[in-house]
Amino acid sequence: MKALLATVISLGLTTVVIGNAYYQKKQFYPSIVYLTNSNPSMAVMYLQAFILVLLVGKLLRKIFFGQLRPAEFEHLIERSWYAITETCLAFTVFRDDFNPKFIALFTLLLFLKAFHWLAEDRVDYMERSPVIGLLFHVRILTLLMLLAHADSYFIHHAYQFTASKGPSVQLVFGFEYSILIIMIVNILIKYVLHAIDSRWEAPWESKAAVLLYTELAINFLKVLLYIGFVAVMVRIYTLPLFAFRPMYETMRSFKKAYNDVVLSRRAIRNMNTLYPDATPAELAAADNECIICREEMHTGAKKLPCNHIFHAACLRLWFQRQQTCPTCRLNVLRAPAPEAAAGPAPAPAPGLAPHAPHAAPAPPPPGPPPPPFPNMPPPPPMMAWGMPPPPPPRPANLASLTTAELQRMEGNERRNIEARLQLLREIQSMLDASVLLMQQYSTVVANLPQNNATVSTQTETRIEELNTASTVPTAPSPVKTEPDVVPTTSSYKQPAPTPSTSKTIDDPSPMQPDTTTPVDTNRDKTDVDAADELRRRRLQKFAMDK
Amino acid sequence: MAGSALRRLMAEYKQLTINPPEGIIAGPINEENFFEWEALITGPEGTCFEGGIFPAKLVFPPDYPLSPPKMQFICEMFHPNIYSDGRVCISILHAPGDDPMGYESSAERWSPVQSVEKILLSVVSMLAEPNDESGANVDAAKMWREDRDQFNKIAERLVRKTLGLPPP
Ligand SMILES: [Zn+2]
Ligand SMILES: [Zn+2]
Repeated sequence: MKALLATVISLGLTTVVIGNAYYQKKQFYPSIVYLTNSNPSMAVMYLQAFILVLLVGKLLRKIFFGQLRPAEFEHLIERSWYAITETCLAFTVFRDDFNPKFIALFTLLLFLKAFHWLAEDRVDYMERSPVIGLLFHVRILTLLMLLAHADSYFIHHAYQFTASKGPSVQLVFGFEYSILIIMIVNILIKYVLHAIDSRWEAPWESKAAVLLYTELAINFLKVLLYIGFVAVMVRIYTLPLFAFRPMYETMRSFKKAYNDVVLSRRAIRNMNTLYPDATPAELAAADNECIICREEMHTGAKKLPCNHIFHAACLRLWFQRQQTCPTCRLNVLRAPAPEAAAGPAPAPAPGLAPHAPHAAPAPPPPGPPPPPFPNMPPPPPMMAWGMPPPPPPRPANLASLTTAELQRMEGNERRNIEARLQLLREIQSMLDASVLLMQQYSTVVANLPQNNATVSTQTETRIEELNTASTVPTAPSPVKTEPDVVPTTSSYKQPAPTPSTSKTIDDPSPMQPDTTTPVDTNRDKTDVDAADELRRRRLQKFAMDK
Repeated sequence: MAGSALRRLMAEYKQLTINPPEGIIAGPINEENFFEWEALITGPEGTCFEGGIFPAKLVFPPDYPLSPPKMQFICEMFHPNIYSDGRVCISILHAPGDDPMGYESSAERWSPVQSVEKILLSVVSMLAEPNDESGANVDAAKMWREDRDQFNKIAERLVRKTLGLPPP
């Protein structure tokens, strides 16, 4: 309705303008000259041209697409706004070439772009609709052919122009139409894949993979084109800001396509190596239905460690997103897969749930490890040190488990025991090291002069005396302390106040020999602490080096 | 053979028409496009939404059921777990890892095991028992906690509106 109104108004305006010109000049050529020299008249004519372009667009859209779906329309509007903004940015770079022809070329580019977008959306829609008629195929194929011809014509034109007259705005057109023709190739590949898929009776499992790699290749080509274009533009003109947003988006989708391919490959590898095929009996027990696609499973079903069964193809697509069981959300990467120990073995034969114990490499003989210090005497037999690893949790009822589960559990237990043995071995070598250190310390102590030893014992007895003394004053203090001194004694921070301190606070000289000894003992104590600390650190470092 | 997403949606539609859950009607808006559905949800009995018939739109992604659909009520709603534009915010509609509310455990998240029917049943129970920790509509959550009478009044007005009745 709005379009009709705009058409009528513009048509009316144009008629008035032309009628006015003809009325004033009475002849054809003078009227034309008058029109082209009058700015308001030209504005009306441009408006009319614009409306005509829109009308032609509407007509072509009706021919090739029929009614647009709301989603398609929204998508078109959104992309058009971006494209118009970027075109305006491009105008700033080429403001010297600015003329009506230039604007007409950019309008045509936008116009053709819009049809590329619509064709892309429409081909994506093939996967969503159960009713794709003959008309759809005729429309899409005709449109794709026309667009491909238009694109290649403009690329050719841009190339000729640039080759003969040097770089100009035609660089931008050549680049834009190259991107568009890559898009056409992409759409065509998708169309062919969807068309083949819709003809086949059985689901086409490798279609997803083909699409994935197509996406990767197309995006790679586009990224190359964008980088080349930006490089050329920077050399000849300036930074092409108008190409940055689409370039960024292309790079992002390239990265996404690349990640998808990596994830897909990993999923396929895991599928082939980690999970056994489900047996017919297991399929029957699971009602033969794959919970992902809700269709029957006949062959190519895989069993996860949690015993849930799915189509291999469905599971692969899911694993590209998340590495969990769709039903119980078990993290399949963390879950112990029975074949994991066997490494990348060939896919197991269907119906044979393989189990680890035979495949697992034999553990090293549990004999005594070579002592870390060969010249050392063997360590004392018993030193309570460290914590043994906790015993593994035991399932409540072994009888309720199937044979396969028991076998898997056996494999787990074996690995756990091996880990515990390894840990014990490490503890043993750490013990060896600590024994060595202890012996070094004892030799050092034995070499010390005798008097030092007596001093240390004396200080120890002093400490004991002091400790007992410090507890004493509480009892006699009420008797001895004068009331006015009490606050000072209580705030006096010196440790170990003897009963006499309350009298001689201001003059500590009689206490001199007593106060020095605690300092000495403190130093001894810190030395011992430091040695302890050192030993502990060495042990830690030793353990880490292991 | 059609795409796997389309086949699964057709299977779910068939299942829902043969064996519809009580108080729920759902299906494609247009049978040429199975990726946009409309659902009618009856307000659960014994709640403030009782008697209302709430229309909603479901939009499925091309990779359904690997990714969840989006659901949006197309009538006016006032509920702690529904945004003011009608979008529904419940954990079953989010894939694990995508966590707008930050408190949901992955157990109740989207996975291909879920289905349109389970989503709609979850929405019914969400209508009956709002989760007022969710911040989809803070005003509604606050009113649900602190002024239940006022909340019930608004709900009653919405119920009457969905039935085309004048406000009381
Ligand atoms: Zn399946
Ligand atoms: Zn499972």
